Amino acid sequence: MRLVSISLRNLRIRLVATVLTTLSIVVATALYAAILTMAEQTEARYEGSIGGYQAIAGPNGASELELVLNTIFNVGEAPGLIPLEVCQKLRRGRGIGRRSQVRFAIPQARGDSISSFNFPVIATIDEMFSKFEWKRAPLKFAAGGPFTFSYEQLIEMAEQLTRYENALRAEVPVAERPQRPQLQEAWRECVIGARVARTLGLELGSVVTPVHGKAGEFGSHEHPEASCEIVGVLAPTNSPIDSTIYLPLGIHLLIDGHEQGVFLDPQVAGKSPAQLSAMPTEVGRIGLTAVIADPKDHMGPQILRREFGSHPEAQVAWPQDVVPKFLRQIGNAADALAVIAWLVLLVAAVSITVAIYNTMNERRREIAIMRSLGARRAQILTIITGEAALLSFFGALLGLALCHAAAYGLQGLVEDLTGVFLDWSQLRPWELWLLVGVTSIGAVAGLAPAVKGSMTQVADNLAQNY
Amino acid sequence: MIHLRDVQKSYSRGEQSVLACAVDRLEIAPGEQVALVGRSGTGKTTLLHILAGILRADRGEVEIVGERLDRLGEAARDRHRGRHIGMVYQTFNLLQPFSALENVLMGALFGRGAGGDARLRAEALLEQVGLGERLHHRPSELSVGQVQRVAICRALINDPELVLMDEPLGNQDKATGGQVLDLMLQIATDAGKTVVMVTHDPESAERMQRTVDLATLRPQEVVA
Repeated sequence: MRLVSISLRNLRIRLVATVLTTLSIVVATALYAAILTMAEQTEARYEGSIGGYQAIAGPNGASELELVLNTIFNVGEAPGLIPLEVCQKLRRGRGIGRRSQVRFAIPQARGDSISSFNFPVIATIDEMFSKFEWKRAPLKFAAGGPFTFSYEQLIEMAEQLTRYENALRAEVPVAERPQRPQLQEAWRECVIGARVARTLGLELGSVVTPVHGKAGEFGSHEHPEASCEIVGVLAPTNSPIDSTIYLPLGIHLLIDGHEQGVFLDPQVAGKSPAQLSAMPTEVGRIGLTAVIADPKDHMGPQILRREFGSHPEAQVAWPQDVVPKFLRQIGNAADALAVIAWLVLLVAAVSITVAIYNTMNERRREIAIMRSLGARRAQILTIITGEAALLSFFGALLGLALCHAAAYGLQGLVEDLTGVFLDWSQLRPWELWLLVGVTSIGAVAGLAPAVKGSMTQVADNLAQNY
Repeated sequence: MIHLRDVQKSYSRGEQSVLACAVDRLEIAPGEQVALVGRSGTGKTTLLHILAGILRADRGEVEIVGERLDRLGEAARDRHRGRHIGMVYQTFNLLQPFSALENVLMGALFGRGAGGDARLRAEALLEQVGLGERLHHRPSELSVGQVQRVAICRALINDPELVLMDEPLGNQDKATGGQVLDLMLQIATDAGKTVVMVTHDPESAERMQRTVDLATLRPQEVVA
């Protein structure tokens, strides 16, 4: 027999009070653990997604945060379009890319999605799988491999599309018009993220059909002509990449009826929109939602920043700057929530004090008997604070278990709503500290009743015959 | 074993101080079995608590099992009581949520320690008093006589030199009480333990080797 077994027995005797008090600790701990988990995994997701590239070129009207959130984290709608010429210049090393010497500049266009889960479709080129880096390494495939659609194929197709579009604008007779570039069967390939595969049960050889807009929303419609076969499934990254479908930019540009929307109007002053849309266009005016780029050296960012500073249509956003600022804002919100959780824990601690304190009168004789057997005041103090500590320990343990269970149960929902993947199975070091902290708070909460108990008058209470 | 000289203990009652116990001199030798008798209010239980170290005398020398309790702090007196003194009460004072075995082990826990062979000793004691089949029964599941025997085992678990009993038969019929007292005295005699029993019952007092009336212990000035 040990002092702790007396504490445990005392908790068992007052089972209802013990359970009710433990519940308050469970709730407080689960709440605090949930906030920490969410904040930590949000941070991990965002911080883990910004390595391997430095710059995102996007439209001028958007904020840098909007651009980064949409391009990297699939949050919100694409804020606008930039002309392909931005990408061309970056890649050719002329104009804005002349001195910056980018390692890669990968064009992207988005706006379509798949299934009711609204997994975003990103149209891009095959360099997304050969040059783009996530966490400083190329994307890995769990099955299959990349699709084949190079930058050169993009330009070649874009030139054909431009000639066709200009013939339309010039109202060239149908018989004399150049042929609209055809969607080649070889392009009907796509790569999907790990979560897309898992959620929709897709595998190599499955066919997916993009939906314009968000599935189920007014105005959305399927593009059966853009259906493509899955040739690669990416390995899990615990990032938005897992929820993305990548298909060739050629498919996106050649979707039926997209001709008018593919080209951006030229920037010419004094012309009406109708006049602008009738003016001849060029390859560089094809609209993209973003270009992901990575300068070769440390001077690159400064040069790009300066040169994009005066660009009429595009700006460059720096995820390494934007994401930490964003995380600080999230962190502030998480801190505020954590304060609330601590307050709940404080209330729970007070409830422990009250619950045990209220039993002290009825326990005077029990304590006096133990004292008569030789128990020191310190041992009585230990038994009673031990009860509070044990109660808090079990509450904290259950709270952590509840947090993990909730993370497991709500994993899909949270990922759909916020894009954050909750890893329920991971045990983190702070959980141990939380367990120790809550147990210690409980022990402190038990001090007041413990002191009262230890002050019990032995002779007086032994004489009582209850 | 027990040496008391010029001991007094008073209680405050409002602004008045009430003398609860006064002993001019009391000597009890090792192995002696002594009954403390006296009218109500003569301070028998108070004296027992002073002997146990539960109460501290206001003045005087209190030497118990070679230790001057009047010079010890509370924690040291508690430790001394746990190791050297076994106590048996009129109301048994067993802890209801705990089994017979656990009640006995609790005596060990606060005495010489509940580790090692304490459990074996507790089981052996309970078997010795005929409760081998009742180890895991709670006090509420035992008869009055059985509860008293558990209390005796708890008093003896630390192999104390001194056993103090406060009206140990008060709640029992005479036949049962007599058997239990005989059992207690038998064990104490076999082990050479000193026993001090507070009692109102002349028959119980007669079973002891010596009877001391507390009234005779009072100093002359207090009596006067």
